[in-house]
Amino acid sequence: MNEITQLVVDQIGFEVYQLSESALTLEFGNKIDVEISRTISNLNQAIQAQPFIGYRTTVQAYCTLTVFYDPILVLTSKLNGNNCVEKIVGYLKLLSTKITSTTKLITTTITIPVCYGGDFGPDLEEMATLNQLTTNEFIALHSAAKYKVYMIGFVPGFAYLGGLNEKLFSPRKAQPRSTIVSGSVGIAGRQTGIYPLNTPGGWQIIGRTPNKLFDSKCIQPSLLKAGDSVIFKPITIDDFNSYPKHSDAD
Amino acid sequence: MQIKILKPGILSTIQDLGRMDFLSQAVPTSGAMDTLSARIANKAVGNPDDFAVIEFTYAAAELETLTDVLVAYAGDGAILSINGNNLPSERPLFIPKGNTIKLKNNPDGARTYLSIVGGWAAKTVMGSKSTYLTAGFGGHYGRSLIAGDVLSNDPITSQLSKTMIKKLKSDTPKFLNWSIPKTLLLSSNRKVIRVFPGREFSKFNGLSITNFFSSTFKIAVNSNRMGFHLEGNLMLQRKKEELLSTAVAPGTIQVTGSGNLILLMADCQTTGGYPRIAQVAAVDLTLCAQLKPGDSLQFEDISTEDAEILYLEREKELNKLTTAISSRF
Repeated sequence: MNEITQLVVDQIGFEVYQLSESALTLEFGNKIDVEISRTISNLNQAIQAQPFIGYRTTVQAYCTLTVFYDPILVLTSKLNGNNCVEKIVGYLKLLSTKITSTTKLITTTITIPVCYGGDFGPDLEEMATLNQLTTNEFIALHSAAKYKVYMIGFVPGFAYLGGLNEKLFSPRKAQPRSTIVSGSVGIAGRQTGIYPLNTPGGWQIIGRTPNKLFDSKCIQPSLLKAGDSVIFKPITIDDFNSYPKHSDAD
Repeated sequence: MQIKILKPGILSTIQDLGRMDFLSQAVPTSGAMDTLSARIANKAVGNPDDFAVIEFTYAAAELETLTDVLVAYAGDGAILSINGNNLPSERPLFIPKGNTIKLKNNPDGARTYLSIVGGWAAKTVMGSKSTYLTAGFGGHYGRSLIAGDVLSNDPITSQLSKTMIKKLKSDTPKFLNWSIPKTLLLSSNRKVIRVFPGREFSKFNGLSITNFFSSTFKIAVNSNRMGFHLEGNLMLQRKKEELLSTAVAPGTIQVTGSGNLILLMADCQTTGGYPRIAQVAAVDLTLCAQLKPGDSLQFEDISTEDAEILYLEREKELNKLTTAISSRF
């Protein structure tokens, strides 16, 4: 069986398990929670600020942080332990004592312009009706909230956002669309999100942003990252058309 | 050095050892499915392991040498031939300008890797030359190879590669009478895949776990670079629980809502929400990459510690190979 190690950071306990020969996952329970997410972001930033030898990258999710590493470099490093897990757990123990809830977390707020309804948001009217709202009320509620990026997953640059007003909860489409245009803003259940690439999808589409959510040529290809805050700003079709056009292709 | 693709085959893409540094932005690792074969093809021409190679899926591809080339191939999806004469794998091959190389069916596997001295030239995107088709970036213009594509090598910097060219240069295809002993690195039964328990392993009922390790599974037709669907006994949880999405990796074996297995491969998503019953040992993931739809496999239980030891031993052997090849030239 997997050896499970228990640790504490910022008064929140977590378990460590091995995902692969080159990755460990730190698991903080199994629920969506702003405080847990904040603690994970905190630890994530601490690891990146003081990485161990052999560190490659991290993947933050709702209640996990996965640390990827080069096993050879970790094993030949001076960290204490007989194998990669022991060495990295030792490093995490030391690191976690330095993190408290007062540790300053760097968060970025990103405003995303959205042209709601019309051809860009074919499901807006139906979802407004379903929720007994006018389309304007629907747009106002959607653009009033400050959303939190819990994680990036599914396809490059896709952000799982938390904080959708419950008046806007909408079921998935019974029949997924074969193509959803990149930049489309959608709702599925309690989630809202933006499609970064042209992909098939079953979300209700309520608008589109002219911003590029993922650009493989940028230093940070994904516009959003875990821990960021997001605000949607309604724009007109004329505003939309004044943004520079972009294509998915390289 | 240059070659032209005459026939692309089913799926041929440029790959290296993958793109590790953008997983946090949900960019998949990609890279060669069978990293061992890709590395051996590179070593065989004096390249570093992580240079770009062409990954051919099955056979039927054809290419023409537009200049003299020094190439090598490894992997079990095809046998390369010129005018009906088979070319040996896992060693440097000097092929003069104007030859047509055909990929003939090899029933042993699925994927074949072709290296060239200096590595195949392609734009580096996010630290890697690997093609990721879903988002259309990396490799040869973000797509799979098509007939008419002309591919070149990057400048040759390795002294060993230069020496190989000098020694093998000839008017006809030429190669030495030795090869890299790749089979020595692999376990004898290539249909037995070693795994260690995944995070949700203990959530499955006893019968499912017994079946997991004692029955065989078949690779389904709808398998691709993202993952393999496995047909066989269903894996049932003792109590159904909803999981939140978390990181997964190539080699992760997920169980879908209906109890079917999905083995994640090179182009898999970075996160997933299905319970993970097991993780394939990295050293055996290269064996999985050579399985075809219809092939059967079995899982064998090992510990995470043993998986790590196997990984380290494999790396040690590969390092020794590099030294051994240099001593030949």
